[in-house]
Amino acid sequence: MKQLYTLFIAAFLILLSACNKETATTQIDVMNTMLANKTWYLDYTVTGTNTKSYVGQSTYFVTYYKDGVIKDSDGLTGTYTIENINNQSQIHVQVKTSNGNPLEQIYDIISVGDSKLVLSKQVASGAPTQLYFTNK
Amino acid sequence: MQLRKFHFPKHFLFLLLFFVVVSKLNAQTSNRKVQSNNAWSLFGALTLNNQSVNDAGITAPLNYVYNAVNNNVFKPGYSGGLRYDGIYDQKHHYAVSFSINRVSTGNFYKNKYSLAPFIEDFTHFKADNQFTSLSVAAHYKLLLPVNDMRKYKFYAVVGPSVDYKISKISAEHLINGAGNRVFVNGDLGAEFDNKGYYVLYAHYKLGKNLATSSAPIQMNRFELGMSIKMKDLF
Repeated sequence: MKQLYTLFIAAFLILLSACNKETATTQIDVMNTMLANKTWYLDYTVTGTNTKSYVGQSTYFVTYYKDGVIKDSDGLTGTYTIENINNQSQIHVQVKTSNGNPLEQIYDIISVGDSKLVLSKQVASGAPTQLYFTNK
Repeated sequence: MQLRKFHFPKHFLFLLLFFVVVSKLNAQTSNRKVQSNNAWSLFGALTLNNQSVNDAGITAPLNYVYNAVNNNVFKPGYSGGLRYDGIYDQKHHYAVSFSINRVSTGNFYKNKYSLAPFIEDFTHFKADNQFTSLSVAAHYKLLLPVNDMRKYKFYAVVGPSVDYKISKISAEHLINGAGNRVFVNGDLGAEFDNKGYYVLYAHYKLGKNLATSSAPIQMNRFELGMSIKMKDLF
């Protein structure tokens, strides 16, 4: 009986010592997995209370590749990275304009999933525009 | 899901300690007059598992389509292991068991979110629904005055158990520190001892994360199993 107590208590202590919580260092990896190697089609834009639907129409699309390359339906090619700045996840896109000038665009990630992506972009002064994409 | 590689020394220590104590126990019981009710048994069980997930603490901007990940059913798994049945102070029946469990669970997500104009509901978190765990349980067995107790024994069983996940936790389950390897269970059940030949049992286990988590999970499990004394097998 004494040995059983010892066994049980020792096993419990070992289990207890092993229960350190995992740290979250993988959020960006998970977001990259969800975003990459997919073409995302713009379905809606929402600015303030103004919603525009592009469902069923020829619409803007963008492809994020696993190697960090981005291509969109406007013919722009560049690179992208996902970053976490002040607890806000963002997509930083570096492209070159038609006259060869580098341009960085930053999108706040509102939500990313296997089939739905919502980004926010400050186009001009005023309310930011939210961009709703679907992966078809 | 891949079986997690054993880490030295935690798992190694656990196994070593287990085998040392078991061998000591066997050595001691063989030198003593052994009570007929104290015995090591092997057991196997079918399990039915469901987990309830509260992702309210997840802040990562992730979405999983609710209907794709939510599956509020009990899914089958299995477990096997060793247990020691004994009597303390000649009146208190107990059992201590050690098992390895392959768990497949249905998932119930408590929270739904939506982002207009997207219609579909989603969750922020996707819990692993398959994993392997080691568990230790200590059960008090109350002998019930049913039937002829010299032949057939019925027990009501209650006690705690601890599970430790040894399989790899997916990156999605680790988001915001939600990953949690250890959960404690409250066990309740009934057992039927057929003249000492074998024991049939049904246990219900209600489990919770031992440490706080941003996505606490409540495990509900039913175990239907049978144990046979080792001395009858070998």
